[in-house]
Amino acid sequence: MSEETIGYAWAINHALAEEMRRDERVWIMGQDVGRMGGVFGVTRGLLDEFGAARVRDTTINETFIVGGAAGAAMTGTIPVVELQFADFLLIAGDEIFHKLAKWRYVHGGKLTLPVVVRLPTGVLGGAGAEHSASLEAMAMHTPGLKVVLPATPADAKGLLKAAIRDPDPVLFFEHKGLYRRKGPVPTDAEHLVPLGQAAVRRRGDALTIVATGLMVSRSLEAAERLAADGIEAEVIDPRTLVPLDIETIVESVQRTSRALVVHEAVRTAGAGAEIAAQIQERAFFSLDAPVWRLGALDTPLPQDPELEQLCIPSGAQIEAAARELLRI
Amino acid sequence: MADAELATELYRLVALVRAVELRLQQHITEHGFGGFWHPGIGQEAVQVGAATALREDDYLFYAHRGLGYALAKGMALEELLGDLFGRVTGSTGGKGGGTAHFVDPSVGVLGQGGTLGSNFPLGAGAAISSQLLGTDRVTAVFFGDGAAARGTFHEAALQASVWKLPVVWICENNGWALSAPITEQSPTEDIADRAAAYGVPGVVVDGQDALAVHAVAGEAIDRARAGEGPTLIEAKTLRIRGHYEGDRQQYRTDLTDGVEIPRDPIDLLRKVVPAGVADDLDDRARAEVEAAFEAALAAARPDPDIVLQGVWA
Repeated sequence: MSEETIGYAWAINHALAEEMRRDERVWIMGQDVGRMGGVFGVTRGLLDEFGAARVRDTTINETFIVGGAAGAAMTGTIPVVELQFADFLLIAGDEIFHKLAKWRYVHGGKLTLPVVVRLPTGVLGGAGAEHSASLEAMAMHTPGLKVVLPATPADAKGLLKAAIRDPDPVLFFEHKGLYRRKGPVPTDAEHLVPLGQAAVRRRGDALTIVATGLMVSRSLEAAERLAADGIEAEVIDPRTLVPLDIETIVESVQRTSRALVVHEAVRTAGAGAEIAAQIQERAFFSLDAPVWRLGALDTPLPQDPELEQLCIPSGAQIEAAARELLRI
Repeated sequence: MADAELATELYRLVALVRAVELRLQQHITEHGFGGFWHPGIGQEAVQVGAATALREDDYLFYAHRGLGYALAKGMALEELLGDLFGRVTGSTGGKGGGTAHFVDPSVGVLGQGGTLGSNFPLGAGAAISSQLLGTDRVTAVFFGDGAAARGTFHEAALQASVWKLPVVWICENNGWALSAPITEQSPTEDIADRAAAYGVPGVVVDGQDALAVHAVAGEAIDRARAGEGPTLIEAKTLRIRGHYEGDRQQYRTDLTDGVEIPRDPIDLLRKVVPAGVADDLDDRARAEVEAAFEAALAAARPDPDIVLQGVWA
């Protein structure tokens, strides 16, 4: 299989272009996605190739972007819309949490809403409290929404292509801090990463670290430092929170007997709480220690980039937590 | 359709919707109801007049007051009542109950927002599909004077006008947003005035006159279908009964008894439909409604497994 080394943002761009070439029902909409190519440059070149009917620059209008996508999806097209920052999903809350999540159900399955909402998420460095939050747990708490968090360029491409081909609404949380991160990406137009399949990023037997988004690479850094002392951590990236591949996680914990769940979202009532609960429900008698969670402090994110980093888990904190968990 | 033929067809549907409304009133009085019914009695001319101006393959998002929109667009009465009573014969297979989310994509009936005003972006989105798929389908969005206040109207109207989306907005101004009179909700007498801000036509029509509504809606639909963009129609009507059936309406001083319908749409149509024809249609409507009620009430409740079905495709 041939590969190219490209950035995470460009991998998303390739996924969009390939799917738009494959299926003319696929189209995109959002603020500044056309002429500008998106505030993060993810949609560059798409207006030129696909034209203004399929690459639509909207007004500042989140309810329309998502609600319009819902209406367009139930009438036979496949919208992939961008909110400039994941935080703005709150502005389109009714459209996301009521329309996308519920309209198939309340209508007895007669409507289908194949919408992908692309949500640039997480800290970037100084973007501030209303442009930096990790809100995926809200979506995970709402039946009817699939929730995707790619951590590598190859996954960004493969998961987005799978999300576009999925008949259900998908919230696609792309990490702003990963946009420039490069990695090998299959060039195959059929490179699909199925939703609901975790990736084991690193094998180990000392403990299981479950991490999402930006925390995957920080957990791998921590694991390398632990390995220098002969501690081999297993690192699992669920890749999608809904559906959640709990089997892969539980199977790992049954071998390692210890689990640390790490995410960038605030710790209280985050996705980690759900994952930890499911681990203890299913692997209680394999555990040698409580399941631990690391997440952001229970505060809004400060605007200052240095203060901001104090709020989210660092590689050193993940390493320290792992060492402490191993002493229990 | 010739004028006489059109008037007769509108009468048939207005009489049918009226018969359903009266039969539901009776049913709720006698037996109660497993939900809230928002009566549309007296507002039949808006719903029927506008919905019949659409083509079968046009799209419609309805408002919460009554079921005239869906019936006039082509949904079967048995299905609608099945939804109201939560039976397997309903369009949602038993997910309904009370003010139901009836749906029938085969005749373009796509639903209603449980949150008022959320129809606006959805309707604009359906209209984007028409542009993308190269069809000439028009989308009609019904809403009340209360929902007209939502920011979603502004957001959808602005974008729909810029993109000349094939949308027609039909405001049923019945004078009351639950307990709030329109005089306290709008600085202008006409909601249609707001169309000017979006550079689209705003038209006021007598909402009791089904023929007038049909004509105005037809023009707006033709305009949308021709690619000339949206129109805002404001049909002036009156809420006869409460926000929901059982609402005592202590806040109202403008009503007599909740029974008398000023400028009754039926009376206005009877000026052009021969009395014998109208009488016959009334009888047929009552018989059709009675049969549909019996069938709906006799139909089965859904299997409990239904609560788990339809979350995912």
